[in-house]
Amino acid sequence: MLEQVPLQRIGHTIIVTLQGDLDDATVERIERAVTDQVAKIRARGVLIDVSGLAVVDSFVARVIARLVGMVSLLGAVSTIVGIQPAVAITLVELGVPMEHVHTALNAEQGMQRLRRMWDDAAGHR
Amino acid sequence: MAETGVDSALTAYETMIDSITDYEIVRLDPEGTILTWPCGARQLTGYSADEVVGRPLTMLYPSDEVPAERLLGELRVAADKGRHKIESWQARRDGARFWASAVLTPIHADDRSVSGYVLVARDVSEARSQEIAMRGMEQMLDAITDYEVIRLDAQGVVQSWNPGAQTLKQYTADEVLGHHVSMFYVEEDIRSGLAEREMAAATRAGRYETEGWRVRKDGSRFWSSISLSPIRDDTGAVTGYVKVARDLSERREQEQLVQRQRDEILELSTPVIQVWDKVLVLPIIGTLDSARAARLTESLLERIAADQAEVVILDISGVPAIDTDVAQHLLKTVEAARLMGTTSILSGVRPETAQAIVHLGIELGKLRSRNSLQDALQLAIRLVGAGATDERTSAHA
Repeated sequence: MLEQVPLQRIGHTIIVTLQGDLDDATVERIERAVTDQVAKIRARGVLIDVSGLAVVDSFVARVIARLVGMVSLLGAVSTIVGIQPAVAITLVELGVPMEHVHTALNAEQGMQRLRRMWDDAAGHR
Repeated sequence: MAETGVDSALTAYETMIDSITDYEIVRLDPEGTILTWPCGARQLTGYSADEVVGRPLTMLYPSDEVPAERLLGELRVAADKGRHKIESWQARRDGARFWASAVLTPIHADDRSVSGYVLVARDVSEARSQEIAMRGMEQMLDAITDYEVIRLDAQGVVQSWNPGAQTLKQYTADEVLGHHVSMFYVEEDIRSGLAEREMAAATRAGRYETEGWRVRKDGSRFWSSISLSPIRDDTGAVTGYVKVARDLSERREQEQLVQRQRDEILELSTPVIQVWDKVLVLPIIGTLDSARAARLTESLLERIAADQAEVVILDISGVPAIDTDVAQHLLKTVEAARLMGTTSILSGVRPETAQAIVHLGIELGKLRSRNSLQDALQLAIRLVGAGATDERTSAHA
């Protein structure tokens, strides 16, 4: 499994890439790395790229939801990008609750979306 | 002294003849009168010697089947040929008949004239009825022209061939008898030993049915249905197999045609049209069942991924009725599209559809909906434009 968690920083945004087989240890490592980084750089948004995941089951869906929840508690917004057609169908058919998760087609639109969400959230403060 | 020797030899000979059962061995005079009536003849016909000796041979044959003239004719033929075989009915004393295979041999006197005959006959009724049954079987097999019904030995060598087999495979009996059944198989099946595996399966299960490619004489392939059953002897050992085969090419082609047409209809019924940059329209026409809905969702999502479309308009003006199932399908499609990051707009909602949706208690959630495709398109362009505006603003920021 991946020893390094692939994280990138662009301005106030952190991009985290999920790929390969996710096991409990990897997930924990990713959660630790993302939360640490968000707190450290006072990130406004987290972009979660799942285009490298061919299979998304309810476990992975829960992982994503957990990550979104943690980011939100740290005062940042997050969006998921790169859900493949087959993955989208599987998630809908499995009935995995994804209503609270924001999505975008690709990284570019994901960045726009994060910015809009941040602006909206800032307006309410 | 010499005479005594001949007498005793004759007695021994008569005793021997008398001890032969199952055979009717009768001596006749030149006119066909019965001279001797040994034990075997008694057993076979039920007549005693008193009733028969001195009477003509014709009494043993039913006159309606074998008239006296014919029998005399047979005697002359025997005299000429030296040996003559007669197969016909014989009558028993009780009136019953049996099928007798008889051989007439003339006895010649010293002057070469015929001094009498020996008739050796036996009951072959059982063999005859078996033969008739067998012939009936063969005729039955020959009458089957749509099916190949053949016999293989335990090793798979072809033992019999019927007209159906000839029609199917084009080979004549001469070309296949004695050859291994694998001559009808395609290359890869010969290499993998399919024929042996099929026979083993038939032996195990008592019957094996399969479908597969087989080869005709001209090298062309056909799709065949095959049924293989083992033939077992009294001890249960497999002595061969009966193989019944039929050409299913036509049925297979029909099935493939139907499948292809079904695919085409599905394809035609789920067109995805790009109407604007990053805007797709999916006009849904007709009733949505789960198969169509799945297909529709799949092709829409693939187009979204390929075109990176931001907005999808689902136009339902061509859907005759919206019920809970159809709504469920639509919502699943919308949710799957949203997970990919695409916004959906419902369009073509007619007044009665709107009423039905609310009356049915279908929750469409935050799904945007418009009455006409035009309105939906305006909304779509605004949504796409908003994204672009964002981009510009951020570029300046």
